[in-house]
Amino acid sequence: MSQATATAAGPTTRRAAGRRKKKPGSHGAAGFLFTLPFMVLFLGLFIAPLLYALYLSLFREQLVGGNQFVGLDNYIDGLQDREFTRGIGRVALFLLIQVPIMLLLALVFAMILDSGKVWFPKLFRVGIFVPYAVPTVIAALMWGFLYGRDFGPFADLADAINVPPPNFLSESTMLFSIANVSTWTYTGYNMIILYAALRSIPTELYEAAAVDGAGAVRTALHVKLPLLRPALLLCAIFSVIGSFQLFAEPQIFATIAPEVIGKGYTPNLYVYNLAFSDQRLNYAAALSFLLGVVVFIVSYFVMYASRKQEER
Amino acid sequence: MAAELKKPANLTLWAWTPGTAEAVQMFEKAYPNINVKVQNVGQGDPHYQKLRTVLKSGRGLPDVVHMEFQYIPSFTLTESLLDLTPYLPDDFLSDYPEWIQQQINLNGAIYGVPWDTGPLGFIYRKDLLDKAGIKTPIETWDEFAAAAEKYHRANPDSYLVNMPGGQTGQWLGLFWQNGARPFSGDPNNLRVNLTSPEIREVTEFWDKLYASGAITDDADFNDAWYQGFARGKYAGWISAAWGPIFLQSYTENSKGKWRAQALPQWEAGQTVSGNWGGSTLAVLKDSPNKAAAAELARWILQERQPVEMFSYDRFLFPPQNFMLESQEWLNQPYEFYGGQKVNQVYAEMADAVDTGWEWTPIHEFVATQGDDIKARTVDRGEGATAALQPWQDAVVNYAQQQGLTVEGQ
Amino acid sequence: MSAVPTAAPEAPAVKRAKKRGTSAKPGADKGFVFPTIFMLAFLVYFLMPLGWLLIASTKSINDLFDSFGLWFADFNLFDNISETFSKDDGVFWTWLRNTLGYSFISAVGAGLICAAAGYGFAKFEFKGKNLLFWVVLGSVMVPTTALAIPTYLMFAEIGLTNNPLSVILPSLVSPFGIYLMRIYAEGAVPSDLMEAARIDGAGEFRIFWQVAFRLLAPGFVTVLLFNFVATWNNYFLPLVMLSEPRWYPLTVGLAQWNSQAAAGGGATAAFNTVIAGSMISVVPLIIAFIFLQRYWQSGLTAGSVKG
Repeated sequence: MSQATATAAGPTTRRAAGRRKKKPGSHGAAGFLFTLPFMVLFLGLFIAPLLYALYLSLFREQLVGGNQFVGLDNYIDGLQDREFTRGIGRVALFLLIQVPIMLLLALVFAMILDSGKVWFPKLFRVGIFVPYAVPTVIAALMWGFLYGRDFGPFADLADAINVPPPNFLSESTMLFSIANVSTWTYTGYNMIILYAALRSIPTELYEAAAVDGAGAVRTALHVKLPLLRPALLLCAIFSVIGSFQLFAEPQIFATIAPEVIGKGYTPNLYVYNLAFSDQRLNYAAALSFLLGVVVFIVSYFVMYASRKQEER
Repeated sequence: MAAELKKPANLTLWAWTPGTAEAVQMFEKAYPNINVKVQNVGQGDPHYQKLRTVLKSGRGLPDVVHMEFQYIPSFTLTESLLDLTPYLPDDFLSDYPEWIQQQINLNGAIYGVPWDTGPLGFIYRKDLLDKAGIKTPIETWDEFAAAAEKYHRANPDSYLVNMPGGQTGQWLGLFWQNGARPFSGDPNNLRVNLTSPEIREVTEFWDKLYASGAITDDADFNDAWYQGFARGKYAGWISAAWGPIFLQSYTENSKGKWRAQALPQWEAGQTVSGNWGGSTLAVLKDSPNKAAAAELARWILQERQPVEMFSYDRFLFPPQNFMLESQEWLNQPYEFYGGQKVNQVYAEMADAVDTGWEWTPIHEFVATQGDDIKARTVDRGEGATAALQPWQDAVVNYAQQQGLTVEGQ
Repeated sequence: MSAVPTAAPEAPAVKRAKKRGTSAKPGADKGFVFPTIFMLAFLVYFLMPLGWLLIASTKSINDLFDSFGLWFADFNLFDNISETFSKDDGVFWTWLRNTLGYSFISAVGAGLICAAAGYGFAKFEFKGKNLLFWVVLGSVMVPTTALAIPTYLMFAEIGLTNNPLSVILPSLVSPFGIYLMRIYAEGAVPSDLMEAARIDGAGEFRIFWQVAFRLLAPGFVTVLLFNFVATWNNYFLPLVMLSEPRWYPLTVGLAQWNSQAAAGGGATAAFNTVIAGSMISVVPLIIAFIFLQRYWQSGLTAGSVKG
């Protein structure tokens, strides 16, 4: 994590340090007080639930026979639970496919908008960003209708030109169909972050490139892209976390294609079903914890990889 | 008792059936001192999940709750439901057919007032079946299978029925008809048998139709499924008694072309059915106003005025003998079914539902797991029979995890 | 970048665009054709589902199942809307009000808390500061949904479930907001200015409120907007926490209506109200997006993502 802070904030801090003098130790108490409201909430609503989950995860409560301490049994079960590990695998696959596609699209859109070589830039900026205003639940409902196997609009169109209708909801295509919903919803969000980052690149750097005779594409690749790295990393981390949170889409699609989406299609859905449908709260707590650890490791890995690349 | 009901009381009722608020208004008129708040916290699983939540935390508890038959044992296991016997008339049970009595009367206690039921029957598009040269009504499952093949040959884009692999309620109803009794016993001696010959006979029957492509296995109750009826992809539905009305709201363009008939039989000349769905009102044990709560449940589900409202205006299929025998109700023609007296068909089915069916105290798991496994095996072409053993294993495993004793395991 | 970052985002952009426009001579417009077509193709993709939603919300339930999805049938928009608002005794109004309330309180609350904490982290030194910040940032990586169930269990113990606070309180914690505000504050609030105010005898709180906060405003607005949308769109947390429809936000309410269809049995599957309800719940945010466009970037530009 410290790397991310350093990478993302590095230049700012360095520049800031050069410009003004900080007085370490001065008014420290006041500084702490400013962070206090957040810290209280953070303790109560982040640290406490985590500790509570940890505590719960060491017990097992049965419908008949009550509550007993079971040590790490829930964790051992979790690691061997194929439904859970396969859910994680599925989300990992999702992540490998969806995140790069989405970030690439967001990057290209941001670059095009920033280049100024497009008509109606405002229209595109708002139009692409607008799906972010649509709650995931509603996005999933909409796409669910559109994906309709027999009578969705795509199926109707295919019918009209006499080709077999595409099946968006089969076992082999479902993950892509969900990825599409995420891409649709969040590309604009990422585009705005990247676009904002592009806007803050000092103009002198462009001018230098222009003097060298670099074209728009070359400027984009050689001047802009390296400077975007912190913003891209930020987007990547958020997307990774978002992937592990997949819930609304599979939950809604389960009513359309229950044969594909079972109880444990994504880890999050699984934890939810365990807690509320199977009443295995302790086990659900343990899996929540394991899931958090997995996300932490993956995010760390993403950052580590990005840093390695930067060093090269 | 009567004195207790004159005292002012505030009740909360959790239910999802349309018309509940109307019935409650009638109740409040009859008992001006009792004030009832009606809440719809979700239908099916979400409802029970919320109920468990409030039972656990002990806050925001309703007094009276919607309770489907299959969930009663789950909530008696946790000792959450009130035995209504002291609050009901002595001859209460005799107001209902025997199989319904068995659903609410467990270990000598009465845990719910029946609201509606869902005996299985078959509804179909008469115009389409006539055109395909299929003789109706279809009497036996053998004839049904032949009809399905013949129909699909004549209409390559259409199917006699759609049978979702995942709809456990519907499957259990069909097992029920064939005399299977997969669940019995009590939490200390639970018997689960999801692989019995009676069950296999049913799944193997449908597997043959899946394999030949004569029927589909699309998931039900979603937009594509409604579209399937509206656009003639499905020519029929193995439907519960609440089905005929349910369907007519979405398929107006085929109005008048539908007919209802008895569920096809395993042996010619028999009349046996199973049940899919239906519910009761139950009272929570922790209700501070037990007498008022029990009277609310009884009143809106036994008095003529609210019961007729539910039966005529909301088209619930009534469990009460007095409605099932009402000539006016039986002779009501349904335009959507070409003027057919559909209630007669389903009243006959209600009379024919087999007795002796029991549920487990872990029904939600049984159902969700059954949905999951069957939907998958059927979709992959392995058929529903392939799901039975894994389903059985998962249920037994879960029951043991939850501390229940499973016989023979 | 100058001490007042608000002005920064637009200014260089204009300069740049003009410069390139003049240097590119006659064929300039040609370079616009391909990017515009490219963007247009994707715009269709991004707007098509919303077009479908708009069209579908004008259809009766029968037409919904019986007509081509991407074109109109009989016009029933107003019937659908009035059915949506009258269904279940007008509970949709309640959901709309709840959503607005939760989003507004969470957004303003999180914005203020993050502004104060970000300022504290950026402009002061105190013991354990870096460790605290490190922990906060690390927490971004724990999925909030993985946290929702433990939080729910904890709230259930203290009787805080099924209560607006159970949705609002967790929404106030925004580690991303802290991160953004810290970096924003570093650039936006000159220490000299604070020092000058101190010499004038102003207390720390007054300095924050009367001097620094104004400078932090663009960052604050951005954090506020992100939190507003996040709370508006939140589904999992309220789904887990709330058990009574009178506390539901739109997302949970609409999903409940949708699932009523899937459960079968006595009730009806009113897809038309689900669709009209979705349409109604999306429109206010879209309008807000169009009008608040530039504020989305103001805090980001000067802050976190600067290279």
